[in-house]
Amino acid sequence: MKLEWTKAPMGRRNFLKTATALGAAATLPMGLAGRAMASEGGTLRVRSYGDMSTMDPAHSNGVFDEEIHASVYNKLIQYKPGSEWGWQLDAASMIEQADPTHINFALRDDIGFTNGHGAMTAEDVKFSFERIIADDTESPNKPDMGPLSHIEVTGEREGTIVLNEPFAPLWSIALPYITGNIVSKTATEAAGGRIGADPVAESGPYLRASWNPKEKTVLTRNPDWQGDAPAWDNIEILPIDDENTAEIAFEAGELDFTRVSLGSVERYRADVPNGGALIENPSLFYVWLGMNLDHPKLQNIKLRQAIQHAIDVPSILEAAYFGAVEPSTGIIAPGLIGHRDAGSIAPAADFARAAELLAESGETNVSLTLDVLNKTTFTTTAQIIQATLAGIGITVEINVLESGAFWDSGNNENLQLVLNRFSMTPDPTYATAWFTTEQAGIWNWENFRNAEFDQLHAEAARETDLEKRAEMYVRAQDLMEESGAYRFITHEATPVVHSSGVVPALRPDGLTLLRYFGKS
Amino acid sequence: MFIYTVKRFALAGLILIVAVTAMFLMIRAVPGDPVSIMLGPRATPELKASLIEQMALDQPIWKQLLIYYGGLLRGDLGIDVFSGRSVVDIVFQQLPYTLEMIALSVVWSAALGIALGAYAAAHPNTIIDRVAAAVSVSFVAAPAFVVALLALLIFAVQLQWFPAIGVGEGFWGRLNHLVLPSFAIGLSWVGYIARLVRASMLEVLGEGHIRTARAFGISERRIIMSYALRIAILPVVTVIGVGMGFLLSSAVFTEIVFARPGIGKLVIDSITTRNYPVVMGTVLVSTGLFVLSTAIADLLNALLDPRARSTK
Repeated sequence: MKLEWTKAPMGRRNFLKTATALGAAATLPMGLAGRAMASEGGTLRVRSYGDMSTMDPAHSNGVFDEEIHASVYNKLIQYKPGSEWGWQLDAASMIEQADPTHINFALRDDIGFTNGHGAMTAEDVKFSFERIIADDTESPNKPDMGPLSHIEVTGEREGTIVLNEPFAPLWSIALPYITGNIVSKTATEAAGGRIGADPVAESGPYLRASWNPKEKTVLTRNPDWQGDAPAWDNIEILPIDDENTAEIAFEAGELDFTRVSLGSVERYRADVPNGGALIENPSLFYVWLGMNLDHPKLQNIKLRQAIQHAIDVPSILEAAYFGAVEPSTGIIAPGLIGHRDAGSIAPAADFARAAELLAESGETNVSLTLDVLNKTTFTTTAQIIQATLAGIGITVEINVLESGAFWDSGNNENLQLVLNRFSMTPDPTYATAWFTTEQAGIWNWENFRNAEFDQLHAEAARETDLEKRAEMYVRAQDLMEESGAYRFITHEATPVVHSSGVVPALRPDGLTLLRYFGKS
Repeated sequence: MFIYTVKRFALAGLILIVAVTAMFLMIRAVPGDPVSIMLGPRATPELKASLIEQMALDQPIWKQLLIYYGGLLRGDLGIDVFSGRSVVDIVFQQLPYTLEMIALSVVWSAALGIALGAYAAAHPNTIIDRVAAAVSVSFVAAPAFVVALLALLIFAVQLQWFPAIGVGEGFWGRLNHLVLPSFAIGLSWVGYIARLVRASMLEVLGEGHIRTARAFGISERRIIMSYALRIAILPVVTVIGVGMGFLLSSAVFTEIVFARPGIGKLVIDSITTRNYPVVMGTVLVSTGLFVLSTAIADLLNALLDPRARSTK
């Protein structure tokens, strides 16, 4: 049996037809001919880790939303791009601390809202801040506003922020971050008091032109913006979960800016494709091994101290973090008030001291469980901890948990050892907040209860003397380490790459400040 | 045929109810407090209570299920906990992206697989047949995620023929962005369909009516194309119908690797964040698609082969 496929009718006419069709197809926007470099035409293409969900700062779900909000709204003050934490004026032409509980401000006179909602006034500031703390709003971001009492409007563009008690994080979190975004009072009220997935009125250097969920958000230059002109005509923000995909897209020229995985840092240190550059920023995250003080197996402090000394942090950083991060000394990252220069336990393991402490504890045949999230970095870290603890005779069984189950560990009374990682905002109060007695069994999974720590946490938030405040947080971390419940590992890092035509504007922890991105 | 169609769709409805109920119970059996996960660390007790009430999580499971089906009958799949948007809007906004990717995968893999299988069957035990067999089995064995990553590195990064991420704009832009994802999930289907068509063709080509056709002097090409292939293709129709489930599950990783929107990515995001309404909406629609495609495959089979109607 033989089929004569070659006898298909492909005469001269058909050949010409086919050739013409193929030629025409080649001119269509397919393949190489249709590709555009990412930063051509004044469009900046950046990767975000997740998609935006709301345009309402009161219901912002964090960084993904804030990247966009910070570009289309204004705040009294904004984070200053650079390697040191600080702020700069934004919508405010003046802001000053009149006394520990009163902050006076004056607004610029050249900022207006879109959709005919007029100039930005002090009433808009009052409305925006007070709706965050109002019970009716049910804002999950209310704690960021701390002891805010109200805003006194003293003029069309002047007002006073009134606090119930001094609140240092006002300058590092409340005003320059999520809750500091100023929305239009008239527009929001006209929308029924709640802003959904679409903006009701914008005022920043960019406007949100479109949002295709899970695909991209497009920001475009605000034609009415009177401040310093933004560098880009458009910014496309692409939500990409997978770090490897983002790296491939960057190397293919489809992204101008992305965070890269720690495993790729070495490669990018050698060469960034397309003439780009690598920037390595420290992160604010903190990773640590916790020990549940309520568990019967972990009652002996000598045993806990033995575990602290037996964990070799440099080995973890080399194997799980590819040597791209530094060891941490506590929960407060370098650059923030209260960072400890050194902990009482060195990063490298001291097996002799660990064995000595274990012998002093009198514990034998110690067997413990270690709960970790199902991410490669954490499982690798857990395996190293398992191996090093085996060196002093402690057996560790690793429980790898899916995120939902893992983050419910506060309810797990059988929790023994846990490898944990918390996110952070640039104020130390956000770090210590989770380790108070009140948080035991909620986010304080070690059930660390220390009256002095609780007092330090409360008082440091009110302390406006920076030096005193720093001492308080250093002491608070000393207490954590002395309890034997914590072995601090790292703050991780935020390595990013950008193409040659882009000048990134980043916070010191590597997060983007898109409105300030420039061109080279 | 009418009665068969009615019976088949009734069965499809029943399957859908069972699948959705099972998923409803399973997602609630997953460990972890959904409210804490959804609202994050800073949620106040008042906020948590409000969300529990909003999602009826304070009700017994059977009552939650009744509430869900009540909403379903009204066309209401609930509200996304994070954005406050209607789940119907969210799911149907994402669905076309997944459907276009699956459709293109099916079309190109079926076209190539059928041609390859038919050609191999027409040349049994020749070098061409053996090469086709080796190629087909290699395609079947190649994990789709490996194909996806290799395709990205070769065709997007090195050759820069096709875009790596996103969905593009306009017809050609969208088609351009579909090439690599549909290649990645369709490749193993080429091999699978080719093997299936070859085996089926060989069986048909040995039957009496084909011998009769040859005895009448009908050309081999016509016998293959008009008589044998029409019968041999029947199992492929069924396989493609059932394959929708496989393609939908492939869409999950493909959408992540190629950073495409779609219901695969949506379901992963919503399960991770315990966004129950979106999980259920996505499962309902993807299960519905699977059930519908298998039902259509059965009906097509019945239409093409009357024996199928009587055996069902």
